[in-house]
Amino acid sequence: MDSTVKKFPRLPLSLGLVAAVCLVLGLVIPSDLEMRKPDTIRKGPGVTEVKRLSDWFPGLKGSAGDSEVYVLDSGKPGGSALVIGGTHPNEPAGWMTAIILVENAKPESGKLFIITNANASGFTHTDYMEGEPRHFTILGASGPRKFRFGSRATSPVDQWPDPDIYVHAASGQRLSGSETRNLNRAYPGRPDGTFTEKVTFAITSMILAERIDVTVDLHEASPEYPVINAIVAHDRAMKVASVAVLNLEFDGVTMGLEPSPVKLHGLSHRELGDATDTLAILMEAANPSQGRLRGVTDEALILKGQDPFYLKAKALGRLFVPYDAKGWPLETRVGRHAAGLAAIFAAWSEQHPDRPITYEGIPSYDEFVAGGLGKLL
Amino acid sequence: MRLPSRSLTFLPALLLLSASLSAQTYTLKAPIASKPALLISIGQSADVEMVKVLLDRSKLDYKADPQVKAGGLAASGAKTLIIAIGGSSKGLGAAGISADAELDRAKVLLAEAKKLGLKIIGIHVGGEARRGELSDKFILATVASCDYVIVVAEGNADGLFTKLCAAAKIPLDSVEKITKAGDPLFKAFK
Repeated sequence: MDSTVKKFPRLPLSLGLVAAVCLVLGLVIPSDLEMRKPDTIRKGPGVTEVKRLSDWFPGLKGSAGDSEVYVLDSGKPGGSALVIGGTHPNEPAGWMTAIILVENAKPESGKLFIITNANASGFTHTDYMEGEPRHFTILGASGPRKFRFGSRATSPVDQWPDPDIYVHAASGQRLSGSETRNLNRAYPGRPDGTFTEKVTFAITSMILAERIDVTVDLHEASPEYPVINAIVAHDRAMKVASVAVLNLEFDGVTMGLEPSPVKLHGLSHRELGDATDTLAILMEAANPSQGRLRGVTDEALILKGQDPFYLKAKALGRLFVPYDAKGWPLETRVGRHAAGLAAIFAAWSEQHPDRPITYEGIPSYDEFVAGGLGKLL
Repeated sequence: MRLPSRSLTFLPALLLLSASLSAQTYTLKAPIASKPALLISIGQSADVEMVKVLLDRSKLDYKADPQVKAGGLAASGAKTLIIAIGGSSKGLGAAGISADAELDRAKVLLAEAKKLGLKIIGIHVGGEARRGELSDKFILATVASCDYVIVVAEGNADGLFTKLCAAAKIPLDSVEKITKAGDPLFKAFK
């Protein structure tokens, strides 16, 4: 040993390391635990009952997957609809629309079932290496409302490990292993499957038990993804969806229409349409905060959707949606979803006049864009 | 949500009203097409479903077969082919065919339609979202064979349809919205 090498005292170094680790853990753990606290969702004037997925599949009882299901029953004859928000907790326009429905909608005919946090586990963490904020805040009518910005997938705390290859049980379709925690690759689900498959099994069971006529799963996609600002419809839902797209045009909302691929399995618009009698539809809005071309990912990006890199991408012709300095604010994206739901239910009601689905209390698209979300929260 | 304000129950009246208010003049001055029509897709986008709604509302005599092959044209009895142009990866997936196979089908189909003397009307209603690498392949493969083309303006923002139709001397009409595409389409029929 070289006697000239200076020896550092071991005890102070060890103590320093322990202190540093404690400091990091002290900063990380409270923030991590904070994400396990559910967002506050208020029962609006139309809510008649709050159930849980375990009411249809007891196997979920007490687990992190036992999401709340809000029932808004008009008490008058009509059809029934399920609105699913929070399939992907990093797509806030989807679940924010569901929350606004729960807190404001008043059904006039038929019955609405609304899930705001379909993958409740996904709300308890963020995607690693994405640098996303864990929360964002909207100034509501009653004060600031803080919401979690979660992950696309179930938390590894609830489902681990991922296999190398995810084999969709019903079809044998093979996908990347991490997709095993993607709720929208796990339909129709299995009672004895993974955590994620149990959640989708509960949703499928609810649709069957409640004979739900129309199911709409609310999503967002990155501006560089080709299926965006669009409705994706199962074959049986195409007649309702195509009329809905034209209904939306009258409101000044341009919406694309895409068929649900027959051979792409595990997605709500395919499997719920195949496994049940519901008309299965999925809607996508444009969300720069989940895109791969984005810059700084902060609350402002989630709320305003303004990003200089997306402006460059647009100039290069790389986007599938209009994009300018106004970006894609959350209220515009929620407004599109709310208008889309109204158009879908109007088309359903027109085609099934004996089973209408109608409600009031939700603003028009223009009112969302002009007035923002605050007054509805 | 109040149903009557959003319902398409009043669509025919609204279409008539908007047509009379706007009194849009079209490039196509006289009808060129005979009934019955066959509605097909080239590119397998779901835009064909929206064209279907427009045709249903106009009470035009037509049948729809989005994936018809050349061999099925004569048997269809159609005198006019209405082609909803636009590619969709989901639509191609739903149909279980590749983009190249769809282009091959289109090539043979359009040649057969010409051989049978069918009038061909191309219609692009998907706007900006139904442009890009995939859709443009089908647009380029189809437009030159058409006798008349209708496009929703947003889908022609870069002038591609204008350029293709001018080169082939095909009448082109541009409308502002999908709901306005039904009027020139209906007027193209004798």
